[in-house]
Amino acid sequence: MQTLKVAACAAVFQSVIVVAFSAGAQQAPEGYPADYQGIVTAGIKEGSVNVYSPTDSEQADGLISGFEKAYPGIKVKWNDVASGAVYNRVVSEAAAGQVGSDVVWSNGLDLQLQLVEEGHAETYKSVEAANIPAWAQYKDAAYSTTVEPIVFMYNNKVFTDSVPKNHKELADLLAKKGAELQGKVTTFDPEKSASAYTVMENDVVNDNDFWTLIDAFGKAKGKVYSSSGQLREKILSGEHPFGFNVNGAYAKGWAKSNPTLTVVYPDDYTIAASRTAFISKDAPNPNAAKLFLDYMLSKAGQTAVAEAGLPSVRSDVTADNWDSVNKEAGGKLVPIKLDAALLEGLQATKRGQFFKDWKKALNQ
Amino acid sequence: MARTTADATGFRFAALAALGILVLSPVLLILYQSFLTGPFFSPLSTLGLDAYVYIFTDSDFYRALGTTAIFALGTIVVCVPLGAILAFLLTRTDLVGRRWLEGVVLVPMFLSAIVLGFGYTVAVGPTGVVTLAFERLFGFVPWNIYGLWSLMFISGLMHVPHVYLYSSAAMRNLPGDLEEAARTSGAGIWTVARHVTWPLIMPALIFSIGLNVMLAFEAFGLPLVLGDPAGVLVLTTYIYKLTTILGVPSYQLMAVVAVVLLAIIFPLVFIQRKLLSRARRFATIGGKGARVTRIRLGKGGQIAAWIGIGIWLVISIVLPIGGIAIRAFVDAWGAGVNLFDHLTLNNFQQLFSIAALQRGIINTLLLSVVGGALAVGAYLLIALAGHRWSGPGNTALDYMVLMPRALPGLIIGLAFFWIFLFVPFLKPFRLTLLSLLIAYIIVGLSYGLRLIQATLMQVAPELEESSRSAGATIKQTWSRIVVPIIRPGLLGAWIMIMIIFLREYATGVYLMTNGTEVVGSLIVSLMASGSLDTIAALALISVVMTTGGLVLANRLGGRIHE
Repeated sequence: MQTLKVAACAAVFQSVIVVAFSAGAQQAPEGYPADYQGIVTAGIKEGSVNVYSPTDSEQADGLISGFEKAYPGIKVKWNDVASGAVYNRVVSEAAAGQVGSDVVWSNGLDLQLQLVEEGHAETYKSVEAANIPAWAQYKDAAYSTTVEPIVFMYNNKVFTDSVPKNHKELADLLAKKGAELQGKVTTFDPEKSASAYTVMENDVVNDNDFWTLIDAFGKAKGKVYSSSGQLREKILSGEHPFGFNVNGAYAKGWAKSNPTLTVVYPDDYTIAASRTAFISKDAPNPNAAKLFLDYMLSKAGQTAVAEAGLPSVRSDVTADNWDSVNKEAGGKLVPIKLDAALLEGLQATKRGQFFKDWKKALNQ
Repeated sequence: MARTTADATGFRFAALAALGILVLSPVLLILYQSFLTGPFFSPLSTLGLDAYVYIFTDSDFYRALGTTAIFALGTIVVCVPLGAILAFLLTRTDLVGRRWLEGVVLVPMFLSAIVLGFGYTVAVGPTGVVTLAFERLFGFVPWNIYGLWSLMFISGLMHVPHVYLYSSAAMRNLPGDLEEAARTSGAGIWTVARHVTWPLIMPALIFSIGLNVMLAFEAFGLPLVLGDPAGVLVLTTYIYKLTTILGVPSYQLMAVVAVVLLAIIFPLVFIQRKLLSRARRFATIGGKGARVTRIRLGKGGQIAAWIGIGIWLVISIVLPIGGIAIRAFVDAWGAGVNLFDHLTLNNFQQLFSIAALQRGIINTLLLSVVGGALAVGAYLLIALAGHRWSGPGNTALDYMVLMPRALPGLIIGLAFFWIFLFVPFLKPFRLTLLSLLIAYIIVGLSYGLRLIQATLMQVAPELEESSRSAGATIKQTWSRIVVPIIRPGLLGAWIMIMIIFLREYATGVYLMTNGTEVVGSLIVSLMASGSLDTIAALALISVVMTTGGLVLANRLGGRIHE
């Protein structure tokens, strides 16, 4: 009798647990630490996660739906915040004591680190950290999530010169055929786009002759634009048939749907830009934020983003990833590391000097 | 006269105070920010003139200021005469097809300048469809869309509808008997136009000159697309550069340029007030409800008018919108491309896969239709408050109305983002459409209010005086006499505001959040990731929808213009 009672109790108890798990809480992903279940349960209780990102929701679609499927009960609220507005939004909301973001994901790498330095990010060692390369991590708070090679792109119907394969060949071509190529070459405007500046800062580090290239570019009356959209149209239409410092993650997709466009990975070095995520300090949904950041870095999340055209930092996903991009770049892929150098680039004096040289080269 | 102004003082001051809070809070915030060394909310910021020193010693600033002044002048030289002539032809003559034209004339306003500029690039840019065809036929291309000259020309043509709206609202209410008198005395139609109609619509024209000067000063999209490639720097594109030049966004520098833009308002409004000080002279809506008689153009006149209008239509509608339409249906264009090989419907399919865009479309429609009506209601109250009210209150009103027009939409949006964030009782509204609506009302203020004021000014004081002496209160006089008379002006203002809210993009960049997306600002992020084919498809749908809405309004309302 007694044993029967115990058995019945146990059965009831077990079914309660089963019901609780299947209806409410989700199992923690396989291989995660035992206490992760607590975060999952708390995250589902929070019910939603707010993401601030300039990545438009079209590209983030797979990531969003993948996460919502992995953690039913947590709704992803995507906030389309323009690249230049992310920093402002985060610092202003923090100053007003109304933090609205749980996860901030932006391609403005320098400003992301600045936000970490200013204390706007929560320190959180992601459970996926071991699978993420060291260059993509900053102080256990910020994580780079994508590999976006910075490439040349040209219109193969209009640009009939021998195609430069690296920065030096491009500089030589511009110097030699400057008159013919007047207004034919274009690049991203570092004065108007912060991420274009960051890339060029890395160009200067990787290429001792970068200013020679810019000088030749200026002499050839090269044109600059402030968005990938403008760059793409100008090259596509042949108005400026050759562009350098184009975001290759986008360019590859464009070239796939448009045989007129060809992408070249510079064979001296190919910079890999990225977009970096962190959890906000005082995030309204701190547990859901952890789940989302971990999911972004997980194999599933990385695959979803890579399939939308932004290659993964992980080598174990089958979609485009660091290894496959590096292979295309002939092993010359150089990441923009999340480190102090990025922050130095924000110093007014350093920028002032860069822009002085830049203007001098361009206004010839 | 004395009795019409004696009453409603309480209402007038209340309306003025409300407007003052709405307009001055962002303006004062910007002014304060300009005197700081960092963001106003940062404890590290101190008072100082550093930002002013930086801007006033930057040679780029003076270059941008000079270019902007020339650009503004060029724009009004083109748009004001053309807009006035167009309004005259459509409202006062028997021009063939004028009813159809009344809707079409507004089309250049349907798209944000940035999309429009892109349309021009596709049509007549260096590798544009028309350019390449012309080159194939004649072996050369006589135009270049980049540079200050083409920027002024295109911007002037783009602003013709603005001038048209203001002057046509005024012309429609002119009593035909004055013109008829001139005609029977032997004056030709152009003499009538110059000596009778022109002086009568002067106030509306002066309004539109003031407005268009400010529009040119805050224009961003066209200078970015058509000026930037040629190195033409204006104040707004200069502000754009300032955001990244010092590393972390430097709002104090942006604020200084905004303050300079605001300072330009003062002499402008001063001159405007001087010119309009005798505006009462032009009051024309009298007691007699005389039906407008249209001037007969004759065959030669019709042909000449249509040639001019045709050229304008081609340049300001067919080219840019044709460019957008082509881009919406192809996946490649430009040199060496046969468009027929690249026809596709994919661009439209992409549209429906974006969830935020569907919310954005609903929000944008809500904001423009319902929000637009609310905005016009607010403008009407403000216009009535200033109606036949002389003295310092009215002066303050005149300055406050143009003030926000001097500020680029991006800065207004930023200022309101901060206001809704830092003013305690506004917190609950920040994440709702209300914050966008308030900012939009300020953005549309000078457009909408001016339209209503210009019409109000033409209501003869005798009408109000007789109502008052018959014992009506000022409220009764306004609601039964004044408002019904200016109804066409109100409808016109509503349509204009709807269109402006529909295409607005900069204001929402800082304000929008999950759930309050608007199409214009989503375009900005699509632009960043390169989806110009999606943008073209979206823009085309929006042109078709706006045109459809306008036709429908014309059918249902029947008499928006009459």
